[in-house]
Amino acid sequence: MLLPILLALTPVLTTDSAAPEAAPVKLLFSADAVYTAAGDFLEGGTIAVAGGKIAAVVPGGESGEGGLHVAAITPGFVELSPRIHAGDLSVEESNEVSPGERAVDSIDLFDKRWQRLLQSGVTTALVGPANEDCIGGLASVIKTGGEMRLDARLVKDESVLMGTFGTQASRGNHAVYGRPTDFFSRRPTTRMATEWVQRKALYDTLAAMGDESRQFAGWDALASVLEGKRPYMVQASATQDIRTAIYLKEEFGLPALIIDAAAEAWKEPDLVVRSGAAIVLPPFPSQGRTAIDNGFLAWNTGKQLVDLGVPVALSSHGAAGAADNLGMQAGYAMRGGMTLDEALLAVTLTPARLAGVADRVGSIEVGKDADLVLWSGTPFAATSRVIGVVLDGELVINE
Amino acid sequence: MTHISTRTFIQGALTASLLFGAQASALPTDKLVIEAGRIITQAGDDIENGVIVIENGRIAAIGAADEVERPWDAKVIGGTDFVASPGFVEALSSSGMDRPNENLDVTPFLDVRDSVDPVNFYFEDCKRWGITTINIQQGNNTVVAGRGRIVKPYGMTVEEMTLRPAFGFKISVAPKSGKSRATQLQTLRRTFADFKRELEGLAGDAKDDAAKGHREALSQGREEEDSDAAGRAMTGDGWTVDGMELVNRDDIDSKELPLLDMVEGRAHTFIYCGAPMDVAPAIAFAKANGLAANATLVLDDTCWKAADVIAASGMSVILDSNLVSIETDPVTEVETETFVPGVFAAKGVPFALASANSSTNSLWFQAALCVAHGMSREDALASVTSSPAQILGMGKELGTLEVGKLANVLLMTGDPLDMTSFVDQMVVEGSVIYDSKTDVRNKHLFEGVAPRGAAAVETEEVEEPSKTDDK
Repeated sequence: MLLPILLALTPVLTTDSAAPEAAPVKLLFSADAVYTAAGDFLEGGTIAVAGGKIAAVVPGGESGEGGLHVAAITPGFVELSPRIHAGDLSVEESNEVSPGERAVDSIDLFDKRWQRLLQSGVTTALVGPANEDCIGGLASVIKTGGEMRLDARLVKDESVLMGTFGTQASRGNHAVYGRPTDFFSRRPTTRMATEWVQRKALYDTLAAMGDESRQFAGWDALASVLEGKRPYMVQASATQDIRTAIYLKEEFGLPALIIDAAAEAWKEPDLVVRSGAAIVLPPFPSQGRTAIDNGFLAWNTGKQLVDLGVPVALSSHGAAGAADNLGMQAGYAMRGGMTLDEALLAVTLTPARLAGVADRVGSIEVGKDADLVLWSGTPFAATSRVIGVVLDGELVINE
Repeated sequence: MTHISTRTFIQGALTASLLFGAQASALPTDKLVIEAGRIITQAGDDIENGVIVIENGRIAAIGAADEVERPWDAKVIGGTDFVASPGFVEALSSSGMDRPNENLDVTPFLDVRDSVDPVNFYFEDCKRWGITTINIQQGNNTVVAGRGRIVKPYGMTVEEMTLRPAFGFKISVAPKSGKSRATQLQTLRRTFADFKRELEGLAGDAKDDAAKGHREALSQGREEEDSDAAGRAMTGDGWTVDGMELVNRDDIDSKELPLLDMVEGRAHTFIYCGAPMDVAPAIAFAKANGLAANATLVLDDTCWKAADVIAASGMSVILDSNLVSIETDPVTEVETETFVPGVFAAKGVPFALASANSSTNSLWFQAALCVAHGMSREDALASVTSSPAQILGMGKELGTLEVGKLANVLLMTGDPLDMTSFVDQMVVEGSVIYDSKTDVRNKHLFEGVAPRGAAAVETEEVEEPSKTDDK
């Protein structure tokens, strides 16, 4: 039964496919509905996979034609805020500004939260340091499954610099009374000083960029952010922290700012639009307040910002349970007014673009990684479930 | 003739009208007609383009719009854009109470009436998420708890909220804090054994008294008096005490008298099992003390492992709000997931779902998750409507939309299990007790409230040093 389909696919393969010319078609996945996140919706579609990449996407595809048939297929989700790290061991404790640290150096691939994340449909995640330092370090994009080797899972190394506003950066620090007792006798101990530490680091970097003698550890990571070579992703939940982040972006002309856990972005739509910052929303809370700095997240925030043209990504903060995983967050965003297409983008292509990996993941397009989520019904409905996950062409979750 | 000043009279009239005016919207409207594009009756097929006629708090007629005769003087709500469904029934909750447990082990003399707070946010949430009936029992941190109560999420006093007073007792087989499993079970058994001994003592005394009275009457040559004060013979599936007909039930310690309701099978008990190992002792205890016929097991999410034992007992169960139980293999660390309601559905055990009361884990969502895991829509909805109603012994009053039942109806903006559906209006016993248009908090949660002064441009005001202030 494979042959006729292969023949049908051949023209597509020859015209569209770029990379996997030699690789033979290995697997076929078909669905009643294929949501590509690339502008297409196929009512009845087949995806051919070869060499771990998507070899073809064609309309049509009935059940049992030599491949796996499900109700719906979406791209694998991209999670920008998985919060799977080694806690304090993943962040430099002696220093508030450690832009050169690499979060993936302390990552534990054997942590079972990766498997849970994969099960919930997340195939790609941005791994950053814990949000305890003002400037925590470099985050890398990895696949959530596959071999237990970092180099096998790495999609883009050091893709984003991460920092923190709000109360978390100053947590644990204390003022100096008399003699400093430990290295936590330091700034910041307030929101104000958090902003000051950020500004000083950016200012020092500007100086270092012009004067070799003023270079410091990790200055080049900060310089890359100032030059727009990689985005700066900061955690800022409460409205004043979001404002602080945006003012800093405008002051230093940061080209790409991503505001993570931006619960109260709905309070400052004009400012967010003006700044051109992208927004990552924390999980939708049932009683209004989110875990980080008690930010109040109204459920229509995603819709409101998308309508204004703001790039919006959703996140689960590592929650992989049936009621709070990333797919469910997309459902909640729809409960707050997003359309299915908007919600789909917010968990696939938009976060992939923000993390700089949209050339490989985030949508179902020929040549991209074959990362797929197989659904029992309409995606993101409370009555649907992820029944399978394809990662790099392999069916890694099969329920 | 007493003189009433006009002023006093007017004041009185004003006060009265204010009081009753405020309540008017909630008093049962005599007649109400609900129109809906689809009515999910949970008692047969859905009705497309249907009408529900409500009179005196109950459903008087239900059917297709062109078949049902509507009273000319009824208020009409809804329309073809809406879906009507039975109100959800929360089979068990300890929310809405002041504190859910007394620290004493055995407290059957308590009543949750004294703890339910009518203005607790929980009841507001119930309306928002479509819960029309709640069985409130004490928490699980107890041995034998006090009387529960079935309420509706409306009313300014507990009495006004009450649907069924003094209903049910919570019993826990899982250890309360500070106890081991052994001492928990020991306390539980001893409570009932001590009670039995006390009744035996009372019955023994009563027999002695009766014999004494008989001898006195004989010796005095008079007829024996009828002992009007005596009670009635004890009944029960577990154990009984002979001679209870001689005991005036007022003589039983009032702190323990509620136990008699349990032993004689008059009271419903909700027996909490915190682990699969608690299930068999719970069933054995219930049988030994005559509770089994009226007992429902309240299960932790791991108790699905004891499903066979439960199925054999014939008892109904109330499930944990966590519907997917995860077990980790201690050696390989591989996690196995079990969809709990599916296990009980397959064994034919009557079960009800429980919500953790939030937008994500409320009953509609729990039912939707069941559908996601392969349960039929009808069965999933039944586990939050008719099934809990039957477990609570109110199957004839609640749980489906049928003529004669209490008119607890949700008017939804779409399918009740759809992520984008909301409760538009809630009708409880014929009264509209919730209207989303006036739900300010829901508007705040979903739409936010733009703060004043959220302007984009910050105007920096720099203080100019003023020389005149310097001295």
